[in-house]
Amino acid sequence: MRWQDSLHLALRALTAHRLRSFLTLLGIAVGIAAVILLTSIGEGLHRFVLAEFSQFGTNVLSITPGRQGARGGPPGLPSTARDLTLDDAAALAQLPHVRQVSASVSGNAEVRAQGRVRRTMVLGVGPQMQEVYSIRVRIGQFLPPDEASSARAFVVLGAKLKRELFGVGNALGERVQIGDERFRVVGIMEEKGQFLGVDLDDAAYIPVARGLALFRRDGVMEIALTYAPTVPAAQVAESVRTLMSARHGREDFTIITQEDMLATLSNILAILTAAVGALGGISLVVGGVGIVTIMTIAVSERTNEIGLLVALGARRRTILAIFLGEAVVLASLGGLLGLAAGIGLAQGIGLLLPAMPVSTPWHFVVIAQALAMMVGLLAGVLPARRAASMNAVDALRAE
Amino acid sequence: MSPTDTLRFATRAATAYPLRTALMTLAMSIGVAAVVVLTALGDGARRYVVGEFAALGAQLLIVLPGRTETGGVNPGSFVTSTPRELTNADAAALLRLPLVQRVAPITVGNTEVAAAGRLREVMVVGTSTDFLELRGMRMAHGSFLPREDFERASALAVLGDAIRAELFGHEPAVGRMIRVGDTRLRVIGTLAPGGQGLGMTTDELVLVPVATAQAMFNTNGLFRILVETTRRDALPAAQRQLEELLRARRDGELDVTVITQDAVLGTFDRILGALTLGVAGIAAISLAVAGILVMNVMLVAVTQRTAEIGLLKALGASTASIRAAFLTEAALLSVAGALTGFALGHLGAWGVRLTWPVLPAWPPDWAVIAALGTALGTGIAFGVLPARRAAALDPVQALARR
Amino acid sequence: MQHSRDVRTAMAQIELDGINRLFRLGDSEVHALRDVSLRIEAGDYVSVMGPSGSGKSTLLNLLGLLDRPDGGNYHLEGRDVTTLSADEQAAVRSARIGFVFQSFHLVPRLTAAENIGLPLMLAGLAATERSARIAQALRDFGLEGRAHHRPEELSGGQRQRVAIARATIMRPAVLLADEPTGNLDRSTGHEVTALLEALNTAGTTLVVVTHDPAMGERAHRWLRMEDGAIAQDLRRHELPA
Repeated sequence: MRWQDSLHLALRALTAHRLRSFLTLLGIAVGIAAVILLTSIGEGLHRFVLAEFSQFGTNVLSITPGRQGARGGPPGLPSTARDLTLDDAAALAQLPHVRQVSASVSGNAEVRAQGRVRRTMVLGVGPQMQEVYSIRVRIGQFLPPDEASSARAFVVLGAKLKRELFGVGNALGERVQIGDERFRVVGIMEEKGQFLGVDLDDAAYIPVARGLALFRRDGVMEIALTYAPTVPAAQVAESVRTLMSARHGREDFTIITQEDMLATLSNILAILTAAVGALGGISLVVGGVGIVTIMTIAVSERTNEIGLLVALGARRRTILAIFLGEAVVLASLGGLLGLAAGIGLAQGIGLLLPAMPVSTPWHFVVIAQALAMMVGLLAGVLPARRAASMNAVDALRAE
Repeated sequence: MSPTDTLRFATRAATAYPLRTALMTLAMSIGVAAVVVLTALGDGARRYVVGEFAALGAQLLIVLPGRTETGGVNPGSFVTSTPRELTNADAAALLRLPLVQRVAPITVGNTEVAAAGRLREVMVVGTSTDFLELRGMRMAHGSFLPREDFERASALAVLGDAIRAELFGHEPAVGRMIRVGDTRLRVIGTLAPGGQGLGMTTDELVLVPVATAQAMFNTNGLFRILVETTRRDALPAAQRQLEELLRARRDGELDVTVITQDAVLGTFDRILGALTLGVAGIAAISLAVAGILVMNVMLVAVTQRTAEIGLLKALGASTASIRAAFLTEAALLSVAGALTGFALGHLGAWGVRLTWPVLPAWPPDWAVIAALGTALGTGIAFGVLPARRAAALDPVQALARR
Repeated sequence: MQHSRDVRTAMAQIELDGINRLFRLGDSEVHALRDVSLRIEAGDYVSVMGPSGSGKSTLLNLLGLLDRPDGGNYHLEGRDVTTLSADEQAAVRSARIGFVFQSFHLVPRLTAAENIGLPLMLAGLAATERSARIAQALRDFGLEGRAHHRPEELSGGQRQRVAIARATIMRPAVLLADEPTGNLDRSTGHEVTALLEALNTAGTTLVVVTHDPAMGERAHRWLRMEDGAIAQDLRRHELPA
């Protein structure tokens, strides 16, 4: 039998009992709507977090002292591994494909200005920090490209720190005291807001060598570098590893590429989204049970009809296809309805709560619809097989 | 109709089509089972985390160096690179406070440990004798760090169980010499295995006196100070005392942060609780789908049993009793589904407990009641329309069909 | 073994040879057909009568390949159809056999035209090919005005005419009718009988199972069944109508 006729027959069967068919496909629709809504929220979150991370540039690689993989614990712990030094940073800058390098150290310190005091995060960074971390100066300029060891006592203030210390007045050229030293303000950073709970605007940026002195360290906490975007991250990581191992005598440092971080994060979020989708899938399973039930009823109601079809020369396969087709069409229609409802709800939530990111990529839609059709197929198998294996004589005799 | 007759009518109707009834029961039970298992999982996780925290002492305060005005935590506060550090003297001073029972200064770092020809990267924790009690750890062999002045850099070490096994295998470790970083230390004890808590597994640690660690890592500061108060309810008062003392020692400046275990625990409890609720709610959507199925099948049944209903009416059954009969049928299905789901859910929770023995995965009472109640309510709610249809059938027409 | 072929060289259209059919009902066995042998020539008009339980419906089902014998052979148009697979039998049913039932067995949700076209649909014909043949059938059976009506909107006689149109649209060699007038009133019954006989005159073999003697006597050959065997096999001599 031609597929167009099968489809036509299936639709006629479904429209013969409109309410029944509608309620059945509604079950699938609720399941699909739940799945699409939940995965849209999950995917929205996924993209949002990735975008947050990506704002710091994507061709970034960072080196930290100590081999982190082994013991865990927070980064920047003291260790008996050799320090990462400013010389290391200078050497790394010479590598091919490496564009910018910024050695950094950070900690808590008091910043005094205009008779005000504020305990805040102070970062000792290199002059190329802006390119490496994709955060820029809004007023004035960033730290000048002095020789690291003889860097002048300049400071760049985060937007919030500037407001707290200087209010709305001009801060450029003013002096602040950090720890025991005095620094001159040469720039104010753009507002970046919060990132994972850390207020990026409540910070002061000083040259790394002075930061080392401030926190009484010999080694930096991190060296971050950017590389040419056309070069694969693995290759750059390898050349960094070779250089640093040679300089330190062994591999007592950890290299993390932005790619790695994003990949791990992406994986976690993808798993979470899938898990949440599976939760919605519970409703889909129940919807499938609904199809099994209704198709079973349909088969027993249409026993006569099945006998007739056999008498007219229908093969077992054809009868199987007819009932299976009805189940699949039911489920598909339910899927379409569910998609419309789920996507509509997701968009609605996105509008009502701007803080909540939602995203429904096309492949989710396709997968959801395919899922619905598969549920229909699986649900229809048992009733359809029952229909196909009926004894024609008995079937014709039935009530 | 009498209630018994109504019940009998409903039961017979359900058993007349066993496959149909079984499928509807299945549909409803999936939803209930899902809610039961998921809440068991969620509650198990919550109680595990809370329990772990509680095991560490509800009387615990943690002092961290550094502070920002904006509050909260920032990466700078995790590491001792503030100009003014927490010192051993600070820790010793805290011990003298009336509400303080135990104090353990902590400094950490990464280095290598060498022994018996083997080399391994480890995290070294420099601390004092009270650390054992504060963290609820147990010794396997030997003894823990002795009670001594915090400034005394004795050449002693206590090994976590995994380190001990890797360096010494089955040989006794107590009394052996090991080299940690550049320092030679004598092993005076090994920890019992296990002892997790708040992310740090003690199996992989090497514990040394705090001054020894400070010398090793060339620092004078502390990573943390753990403080145990005398009484649970003394916590807020103790926190104030701590802050006053430390402020005084720092020329009136409070450049440290004091956290209570409670606050963190409360946050976790709330987060996990909300998560469990959310998850259960999503699973409960399936109960609505099951309800739709019940309504659907019952509507079909009404059409199929038109003659029967017409007969009943002709024999004198009132509209109300027909309605009651069908509602009872719906209720019976829901109850059967809910109970089956309950049993299945408990089976699932048992499975979870088998797979992850650490999780006390028991479905909480509120979840069970909510699930059963929702199932019942949904079933009855979705049975209303078919019941009304049945009740509204005209007996003459009903009997005339077929 | 008994030869079903004698001096005649050509095989009859329908040849049943030692057919046995056994049914198991709980503990007891029912011998629905016992060693039945039968030859029906193409174009024959046969009526099968007998008390209930005599096996006449079973015989019809077997002839229509809806049932398999437990013993014996069935040759249809020279071909042994007893051992065919289910699919092959379905193909034979589709092309060579037409059924008419007492309770019509029309699909309630399809229109008259769609019901008539069902066998064509099952045989894989495209909609465009079907419509011409269905239109012809509607004309032949006087159903043009009823093409888009559903069975519930048709009278009993119209329904049976739709059923007959459906049964013959594939131009089968054999038409099997099981109590075709059972659910019809007398005059409508006469109309339907006339229709079937016209088809037979045009060349289709007609086998009618009936318990109505008036209907049965109209056939050219009378089979009487009793207890699963053919008790009587008479030929009616052509009498002026």
